[in-house]
Amino acid sequence: MDISSYATIIISTVFINNFILSRFLGLCSFIGVSKQIGPAVSMGAAVTFVTTMASVISWLIYYFILTPFHLEYLRTLSFILVIASFVQFTEIVIQKKAPLLYKVFGIYLPLITVNCAVFGVAVLNTDMFFIGGRAVAGSFIKSLLQGFGAGVGYTLAMFLMAGIRERLEYAEIPQSFKDVPITFIIASLMSMAFLGFSGFKL
Amino acid sequence: MKQLFKFGVILGVICLTATLVLAVTYQVTRPKIEGELSQEEQNALKVIFPAADSFTRKTMGEMEYFEALKNNTAAGYCLKITANGYNGFISVMAGIDPSGVITGVSILSHQETPGLGAKINEIKPGENDQWFLRQFKGKRAGKLEVKKDIDAVTGATISSAAVTTAINNAVNAFFKEVKNKK
Amino acid sequence: MKLMGEFVKGLWRENPTFRIVLGLCPTLAVSTSVGNGFGMGIAATFVLLGSNIFVSMVRNIVPEKVRIPCYIVIIATFVTIADLFMRAYAPLLSRSLGMFVPLIVVNCIVLGRAEAFSSKEPPFRSMLDALGMGLGFTWALVLISSIREALGNGTLFGNSLHSGFQPPLFMILAPGALLTIGVLIGILNYFTKKMGK
Repeated sequence: MDISSYATIIISTVFINNFILSRFLGLCSFIGVSKQIGPAVSMGAAVTFVTTMASVISWLIYYFILTPFHLEYLRTLSFILVIASFVQFTEIVIQKKAPLLYKVFGIYLPLITVNCAVFGVAVLNTDMFFIGGRAVAGSFIKSLLQGFGAGVGYTLAMFLMAGIRERLEYAEIPQSFKDVPITFIIASLMSMAFLGFSGFKL
Repeated sequence: MKQLFKFGVILGVICLTATLVLAVTYQVTRPKIEGELSQEEQNALKVIFPAADSFTRKTMGEMEYFEALKNNTAAGYCLKITANGYNGFISVMAGIDPSGVITGVSILSHQETPGLGAKINEIKPGENDQWFLRQFKGKRAGKLEVKKDIDAVTGATISSAAVTTAINNAVNAFFKEVKNKK
Repeated sequence: MKLMGEFVKGLWRENPTFRIVLGLCPTLAVSTSVGNGFGMGIAATFVLLGSNIFVSMVRNIVPEKVRIPCYIVIIATFVTIADLFMRAYAPLLSRSLGMFVPLIVVNCIVLGRAEAFSSKEPPFRSMLDALGMGLGFTWALVLISSIREALGNGTLFGNSLHSGFQPPLFMILAPGALLTIGVLIGILNYFTKKMGK
């Protein structure tokens, strides 16, 4: 496996298969937390950290525990438990060691446990980098990169959306379309723009 | 500390029960799931190699394939191929005769975008097989090219090329293995 | 009468998709065809029903501090059961839903109901609540997916509509999903407001 195939994974998860805009993972928080740029980017950073770590941990579990013992059916249960414990653990550590960081990211952490993007990337990794129970070459690095790329793509979409919504405050929108509906419609337009990347041959 | 212990026990009991329940469910559904999968494989085999009357599963190195038998002699081979599609793996089966001419191609599973890449498996109204896969029939595998030998699905050049390249590579690798063995 | 209310509220007043706007990932990702949408709705209803009843049964045993992990384990168990049974008895559906079956576990509706309702209410009421929410989710999915399938692919339940127009692919792709749900919520808001007056 060469560098270019790793670069491909990053570019394709950030732009072509952007987690929010083309895979629809992590939409709830995308609609909920994208009102202002500051919180949106903080949330994005927290998600990126968790997706990267979740990819690593879930790969270890899948590779060393689930596939050797043919326990693939426990994938959902074990992944979600590990992600939940990891998030909880991170919250406690940050709170103790870096109270300042906790002030910025802390409130987003509990939200991340049920963020589809985190669990989604763990499942996607096992779907994409294991064929018939066997890991493909470089699957560990690929999972890690996909986890990281997913987070970056999420942050990018959050940042763009928050920037648009901040300005939207001053726009005259029909009463019933305010807030949630208009956000979806804007997301639709953004998604169309991102569809332009899908012609990329990597 | 005592409280922590109690939490641990309760959580442990719940996890254990859950695992037990799942293990039982898995044992109950497994024969059906596996039966369903091999049924699909058998159906695909019949589609891609209609001339054969039975198939035997064989492995050669890393490769898994089926030998197509007709009157108890090998009439060709059906290869299980994994293509790197646009969204993930495309699981393909291709039948070839001993000279490498494709007898048929079938897609077992894929995760391509509905409306775009998914059209590699599309059956047009009024027809009874997939137009994209039909193109492979009767062509010699090994050097097939999208847009030259095979028309790509509109808007899904990557998926189309992935299937074509994977078939080429698999057939080439297969014949190389066969030669090495002799 | 009050029991009936627990069931009915999920269908409209507290509809998870249109009113509370939860559980969006599967709603948008699988609504490319009515068959998929309906299948996902039923699978989610099953998980909701199972987890709501069980969470309600253990609500007095589980300590406050570890309740979330416990709920998650219960939900994950039902999701896996649904996943295995779909693979065995509806292989085609299971394949076209793909990874979105395991993703039911992070569907905010399920954990949301466990936390907000069944952790406080007895099993029977939780069951009604789950049925209402599940069916509310299902009809929302069926509505969205019919619109997308009809406009984007020119078919409904896989049957051609013979509509005589070239279906815009856009509706089947990601942007179409976001547009459909945005416009639908907007329209429903409008009517709710009108009726409210």
